Amino acid sequence: MSNVALGSASVTVGAACAIAGIIVALLGILGYRPRWFADAKLLVGLMTLASVASVVIMERALITRDFTVQFVADNGSSQTPALFNIATLWAALEGSVLLWVLVLCGYVVAVVVKFRNDGDDPMMQWVMLTLFVVCAFFFLLMVGPSAPFTSFDPPAGYDGPGPNPLLQNHILMAFHPPILYLGYVGFTVPFAFAIAALVTGRVGEGWLVATRRWTVLAWGYLTFGIVLGAWWSYETLGWGGYWAWDPVENASFLPWLTGTAFIHSVMVQERRGMLRVWNLSLVVSTFALTILGTFITRSGVLQSVHAFVESQIGPWFLTFFALIVIVSLGLIAWRGDELRAPGRIDSPISREGAFLANNVVFAGFAFVVLLGTIFPLIVEAIDGRTISVGNPYFDQMTMPIGFTLLFLMAVAPILPWRKASGDVLSDRLIWPAWLGVGSMVFAAVVGARGWAPMLAFGLGGFAGGAALRQVVLATRRQGWRGLVGRTNGGMIVHLGVVLIAVAFAASNAYVRQGEFTLEPGDSAVISGHTLTYEGSRIVEYPNRVERKADIRVDGGQVYAPAISTYPFAGQTIGTPSVRSTLQDDIALSVLSFPEDADDAVVLRATVQPLILWLWIGGIVMAVGTALAVVPGRRRNPIAPTSALIPEPDSVEAPS
Amino acid sequence: MTRRLASWLAVASLGLSMLVFATVDEGPPLSNADRAYSLAQDFACPVCQGQSVAESDVVVARNIRREIRVWVDEGRSDAFIRDQLVDTFGEDVDYTPSAEGVTALVWILPVVGGAVAVTGLGLVFRRWQRDADLEATDEDQVLVEQAMADRG
Repeated sequence: MSNVALGSASVTVGAACAIAGIIVALLGILGYRPRWFADAKLLVGLMTLASVASVVIMERALITRDFTVQFVADNGSSQTPALFNIATLWAALEGSVLLWVLVLCGYVVAVVVKFRNDGDDPMMQWVMLTLFVVCAFFFLLMVGPSAPFTSFDPPAGYDGPGPNPLLQNHILMAFHPPILYLGYVGFTVPFAFAIAALVTGRVGEGWLVATRRWTVLAWGYLTFGIVLGAWWSYETLGWGGYWAWDPVENASFLPWLTGTAFIHSVMVQERRGMLRVWNLSLVVSTFALTILGTFITRSGVLQSVHAFVESQIGPWFLTFFALIVIVSLGLIAWRGDELRAPGRIDSPISREGAFLANNVVFAGFAFVVLLGTIFPLIVEAIDGRTISVGNPYFDQMTMPIGFTLLFLMAVAPILPWRKASGDVLSDRLIWPAWLGVGSMVFAAVVGARGWAPMLAFGLGGFAGGAALRQVVLATRRQGWRGLVGRTNGGMIVHLGVVLIAVAFAASNAYVRQGEFTLEPGDSAVISGHTLTYEGSRIVEYPNRVERKADIRVDGGQVYAPAISTYPFAGQTIGTPSVRSTLQDDIALSVLSFPEDADDAVVLRATVQPLILWLWIGGIVMAVGTALAVVPGRRRNPIAPTSALIPEPDSVEAPS
Repeated sequence: MTRRLASWLAVASLGLSMLVFATVDEGPPLSNADRAYSLAQDFACPVCQGQSVAESDVVVARNIRREIRVWVDEGRSDAFIRDQLVDTFGEDVDYTPSAEGVTALVWILPVVGGAVAVTGLGLVFRRWQRDADLEATDEDQVLVEQAMADRG
């Protein structure tokens, strides 16, 4: 059987399973089918098999270059190297929906396995119903407007163009999208539990406890996916930047912001039973923003370097987004009374007070990013003008927010719950404060100037000191266990954030760029580095031809940025070469080889300090998240400080 | 003066003087190339999808970069360069939304939102603090003692 037929069949089977799942869950809810969970498990299994099959079939089609599949004809090529051939799956819309669904099915299976004994729990019925609805939406997307398996009649000798050259130019492309999707899709699980909690009225802390690891894990993947994306963009696009406030970058950043707010404020609810409406809203917003982001970036309403060709999925996503928002808001309003917080915050100078401030700042951050991203659409709708909102706006608006967050990161971890006295604060903060000032002095000595980066270094040192203090205290008290668990892992994540913030401030403030036209033997000097052009050479690869310019950096190693021509795609792109050290980076890219001159090159060099620390910070954040997921020291369950506020009518969620 | 206070005063004054120093001492001046690079990031490449003039490799972007460089070398102001580019390519190449008319909202809304949030937070804390003057009842005392006893 052909790949098109097999693939379409598997997608259809998957859609049917998801819809059947909705019906089974509804029958369970209505009490018509007590053994609904067994059916649901079976359907999840079948649905997942169908999803795995569809991905395997598409990969087979890509690997065997089966150009009778339209997707392969459009995006595959006999010349694409093996690794990128596999990654071609997520190089265009239809394939990325396939991947999305695969990840989604994986999460649904994990939920079914983890809560396998909770079939009698009404909460699970609603969780499964929600999950099946989300699955059905995406499967139907593949049956309808984003069908991956449409047929194509290739003329004799046909060969495809291959994926966009930019997407087959760097190894990170193989990892950035799948990891990002693990993050995006992972938020479906807490969303399903939030909806179930609202419907069943068990709006206490049970659903939070049940899903908190899932949330942290999804958040970790999203974080790492975003950092990998920035890294990819830095290594491939060759303009020396890594974050451009591109609408798709913003679309991934928005759920990250609300997700980050949530994993902080959730602790206030667990400890004090407060902020219930807020936490539910954050979970819903995070999920809704992943859908809205997909709409914004995949429907062609906004332009972006990531946007695939315009497609018909826009109205689908918009409808789904509206459905999520309306249902969730309706449920929250309906449960309004039961969601009223039984507690109160005694003092703003307390851990919960800091978390509240943190949440307001993160919500503001998300608002600014969302506003800036969709503002061009709003203006166009109002008076037909086309405008752009970019770098200068986002930089100006987010800088004060960044400073506030760094400050909170320094103060919050050392604040006790409920109330803090001035003496306690002073004793705990003085060493972090010295570290902050110390980093400022150090920065000034090595030549840092400008108030903004200086403030960032100071606050970075302050926040880093506070996180380090907690880690040191915890490991002293508990040995290696002082590194695991949510609080301790969280402090490692904070250290990663500090590294990124400092690297971000330094690289933005002290970037130097120059464009040079060099003849062989010529040298250029930029930021104290000497770049010597030694001539160019042509290297042929199966999928491309590169003309490389050999540049000797500081009389040492030779780096070879190139201009790459992909004959099948009919595109020419630059392939940068980057010299990285812990101190600074030199990103080299060839702008052109002028035809009128003999082997001359137009070279762009960007020198930025501390770039490598961005990626190190990202890795530290990922490690911290992994440590946070490992169960930490159990608190004494009857310790008065950690007991949940009892609620007569709340039943614990399945665990 | 206690040692604690002295320590904090030292931290604060040293930190502040570092900030002042970093603001006043400008370091090496920006070269024309640096100013051109910074400007190129503030404008959208007119034919690309969501890329700035600095990012893009297409011919138009390269030409604009060259033009910006020429203007910078001639000592033109940022405003002049902006007007030139907007006249040639349209308002949507300018990444900085203007602070006039409808577009001013993009600047105003976050500020208003921030002010509302801070005020709201302040009010909530004040209300909480006013309500917080509750004395523990005897029942509460018994509960606490029981819990402590169970724990020990």
